[in-house]
Amino acid sequence: MKFLKTCFTLFCLLTAFHVYSLPENAKKYTVIGKVSDKNDGESLVGATVYIKEMKTGTTTDQYGRFSLTLPQGTYNLVFSFIGYTSYSREIKLDKDFSLKIELSTEQKELQEVVVKSDRTDQNVVKPEMSVFKMDIHTIQKIPALMGEVDVIKAIQLLPGVQSVSEGSSGYSVRGGAPDQNLILLDEATVYNASHLMGFFSVFNNDAVKDVKLYKGDIPANYGGRLASVLDVRMDEGDSKGFEVNGGIGIIASRLTVEGPIKKERCSFIVSGRRTYADLFLPLSSNKALQNNRLYFYDINAKINYVINDNNQVFLSGYFGRDVFSNQFSRMSWGNGTGTFRWNHVFSKKLFFNFTAVYSDYRYLLGTPSGATNSFDWNADLRDLGIKGDFSWYLNTNNTLHIGGAVTYHMINPGKASGTGSETVFTTIQVPKNYSIESGVYATNEQKFGTHLVATYGLRLSLFQNIGPGTVYHYTPTHVAIDSSVYKTGVIYNTYGGIEPRIGLMYQFNEKSSVKTSYARTYQYLQLAQNSSAGTPLDIWFPASPNIKPQIGDQVALGYFRNFRRNTIETSVEVYYKWMQNVIDFKNFAQLLLVDTLEGQVRTGKGYSYGIEFLVRLNEKIVSGWVSYTYSRSFRQIPEIQANPYPAPYDKPNNISVVLNFQLAKRWSVSANWVYATGAPVTFPTGRATIAGKIIPIYSDRNAYRYPDYHRLDLSVTFASKEKPHRKFTWDLNFSVYNAYDRHNTWSINFVQDNVDPNTTYAEKIYLFGIIPSVTFNFHINHE
Amino acid sequence: MNKLLLSLLILLLAAGCTERINVNLDNSYIRLVVDGGLATDSMQRSVTLSKSASYFYNQPPPMVSHAIVTLTDGSFLDTLREELPNKPGVYSLDSNFRGTIGKTYSLDIKLPEVIGNVAEYTSSCKIMKVARLDSIQTEFNPNLGKNGHWQIKIFAQEPGDEVNFYLLKYYRNGKLMSDSIQKWSTSDDKYFNGSYIRGLTAFYINNGNPWETLHPGDTVIVQMSGITKEYYDFIQQVQQAGIQIPFFSGPPANVEGNISNGAVGFFSAYSDSFARHIIPKQ
Repeated sequence: MKFLKTCFTLFCLLTAFHVYSLPENAKKYTVIGKVSDKNDGESLVGATVYIKEMKTGTTTDQYGRFSLTLPQGTYNLVFSFIGYTSYSREIKLDKDFSLKIELSTEQKELQEVVVKSDRTDQNVVKPEMSVFKMDIHTIQKIPALMGEVDVIKAIQLLPGVQSVSEGSSGYSVRGGAPDQNLILLDEATVYNASHLMGFFSVFNNDAVKDVKLYKGDIPANYGGRLASVLDVRMDEGDSKGFEVNGGIGIIASRLTVEGPIKKERCSFIVSGRRTYADLFLPLSSNKALQNNRLYFYDINAKINYVINDNNQVFLSGYFGRDVFSNQFSRMSWGNGTGTFRWNHVFSKKLFFNFTAVYSDYRYLLGTPSGATNSFDWNADLRDLGIKGDFSWYLNTNNTLHIGGAVTYHMINPGKASGTGSETVFTTIQVPKNYSIESGVYATNEQKFGTHLVATYGLRLSLFQNIGPGTVYHYTPTHVAIDSSVYKTGVIYNTYGGIEPRIGLMYQFNEKSSVKTSYARTYQYLQLAQNSSAGTPLDIWFPASPNIKPQIGDQVALGYFRNFRRNTIETSVEVYYKWMQNVIDFKNFAQLLLVDTLEGQVRTGKGYSYGIEFLVRLNEKIVSGWVSYTYSRSFRQIPEIQANPYPAPYDKPNNISVVLNFQLAKRWSVSANWVYATGAPVTFPTGRATIAGKIIPIYSDRNAYRYPDYHRLDLSVTFASKEKPHRKFTWDLNFSVYNAYDRHNTWSINFVQDNVDPNTTYAEKIYLFGIIPSVTFNFHINHE
Repeated sequence: MNKLLLSLLILLLAAGCTERINVNLDNSYIRLVVDGGLATDSMQRSVTLSKSASYFYNQPPPMVSHAIVTLTDGSFLDTLREELPNKPGVYSLDSNFRGTIGKTYSLDIKLPEVIGNVAEYTSSCKIMKVARLDSIQTEFNPNLGKNGHWQIKIFAQEPGDEVNFYLLKYYRNGKLMSDSIQKWSTSDDKYFNGSYIRGLTAFYINNGNPWETLHPGDTVIVQMSGITKEYYDFIQQVQQAGIQIPFFSGPPANVEGNISNGAVGFFSAYSDSFARHIIPKQ
């Protein structure tokens, strides 16, 4: 109750303050509107709305909407969005009204209303920092492994983001652990974003609209993870005409259908893909491989319905599975998510969103029944949640966001049981656990004059373990002595967190600004994983009487400067981050199918810092970015090692070059080059012989490094002729991953020679040589 | 089940390539290495003392001679005798010595000169019960691998009233085939506590390896030992030492033995149960 009271007081304070601060004299009116793509009617998120006369503006929200309250008068509004032609419109503001703005993509521009000189950009003017937004067209230009363009692989090329292991979908943001990233697909949490052991991610590009990564300065409406939020939005479907998109690659094919159900009101999109590498396995001369199955598939679907000007709903879902099987065993794993959302406009100044989400991650492992060692092993995690969010455009100077969310987590950490009458295995059920994670927040974006913008807010989070549940009690040396069992519905443990989020922006002029931010975040759910690349056998475990919530504090300072009519964006950001109660595991931890997982957790502190330089290009011919990052990340967990040690993601020097050249109308070339200091690793500094085996005696944790990592990828795309109203277009993409055949280290093993057992040597495993691929993409448009 | 997991991913790992590389490593201080112990029979009754070396030492381990090694169980039992000059560093118990189930044995080591600043080391280990091995069977599985595999299956009643850990070794025609720790098989009773173990496969033997494969007419003996949890963990850690597979492996760490004062290794004591099987000729 105390918690609710605090929230209420906070709400009253914030609102009261601003209501009273409204100037009374000038007559004011509100214009609201929606900005969408002229071609397919999809809303444009984060488009800029610039008021020429005021030299200020706003951006559209997650649903493409905006609201501006201005004194009576005549204004020129300029609407702009990357990749689209800017559009200017004069409005006479003597009453409240709404606008519908449609922007067309640059390729199809007809030189009508081009106002390039006035184009502003979010990089400089938006009061948010440590953010990187990419639309799907940018991602699609990046050369990719086996031609399968991937959202997560694109994210890993950003400054401040490190891949955890070659080919992995795991990533570390500013020195955080991979499980400290919140990954959202239409607001539903994706707990394991990997397909095929991480070589591909769960995001199908044809179904994704855009992605936004928050590396810091995380807005108060997000919570639950320390390091970052990756917000992926699914395509809404073309509300104007039917489209079919597809692609045929060397390992997978994709097909997407979208179109109107009711023109300009209701649209749908269905997208699916499947890999088929395993279809060729029966041709293999290796008998053992012939019966193997190894594939993944996924389906995305969304229906979007604009009921009227004030109400819009959508329903979206994702389902994906990886399947592996051979004659001895089978394994499958995957995510499912579902989202229902209702956007409602209460008034010209008050917008509301309601969201209900479901997410699910599960895996199954087993052997054919009828043998003595037949068994099935499954585990799952399910989330059920609702969120409500009010956007209140109080006046030109204040935009208030207030909302809350409640999520019910249901975790089955694992159940293994023998199958068939022959089996010797009994049943093991690791106790299931349940918890409720909730949060309320209020945040205000306030302008002080034309130069200074402050964003300040507070998130109050609450985490409760709820029965049925079993809690083990441990000695100080982590030995389980006994346990308490709680009945259904009993709340047996509660944690709360106060999470301030503060940002300040000072805009020198239209081309440059300086921003600073502080954010505190709490994390109540973490992944039991101590390997670097990870497996699909993920177990998330909650904060509990034994495990305290992780707490992160980050401060950041950045300078932002745009050049050449905003086609070149540059930024420098420095950050420092402190983390409390970070998780590691004891040496030789056994994390699967154990009741006493918590007894193997070791907690301590972490800290990381860095500087990130970014140049982002959006010229007609060249687009992409070049970045350099220097960063460090350490952990201090006394029960692991007395001294602080480098985190596994501590790779000080990092360079990313991601460029696309539009050489001619039909030809484009892309290249990316990445360089990173080798990952820290523990190496032997001695050896001992035990029962015929030479075993290493190790250095301090992470005292050595793998060789530096670098790689060049190239691709060439040849597209069909651009003609207006052409029904069928296509492109052909050739790409080469690891073009100069760098044998990047995946791991180094220390091996005893078979022939001379007194000899030991180091052996490197690398995953990829040069990997060429070809992909054919097509697009059918039926207006 | 871990082995199954590994086999599941062989397909993916097959895509990876290996190459030898040069790595510059520092040298840490020298430690005493203890390896060996005793059993309820005469199969195991010696302890080897050696010294650790730099990682790329590439010679037989330097042995430690002239140590005084004594065994106690609360009172003095025996002084282990070093078999000089044939086996320097190997210290053996009296050939008539047999361990007793339920007893805790201690080993005390006094070195002629210090290693890592320490000259005296001690260790102890309890002999656990072992389930009686009823019988074993062999079966040839032609579908497993290119040349097929021989499977050795065990039959035993697992006691349900305690947590047990097992170490398994096998002999072919009287010769110990599980002759290095890498070829030992271990199991805990987590997945079948209290069940009758009806033909669980303890060994998979690659028929493509002539030096280890079985033939009709061969006599196969399986030795099953009841071991402590600490020894079970130690064996597993040693078996995995040096190998890092980013999918599964946690950070590398020194194996955790039971010798005092920072020495590496394990002094083990265990009980044995045996079963014999002659592979029928067609």
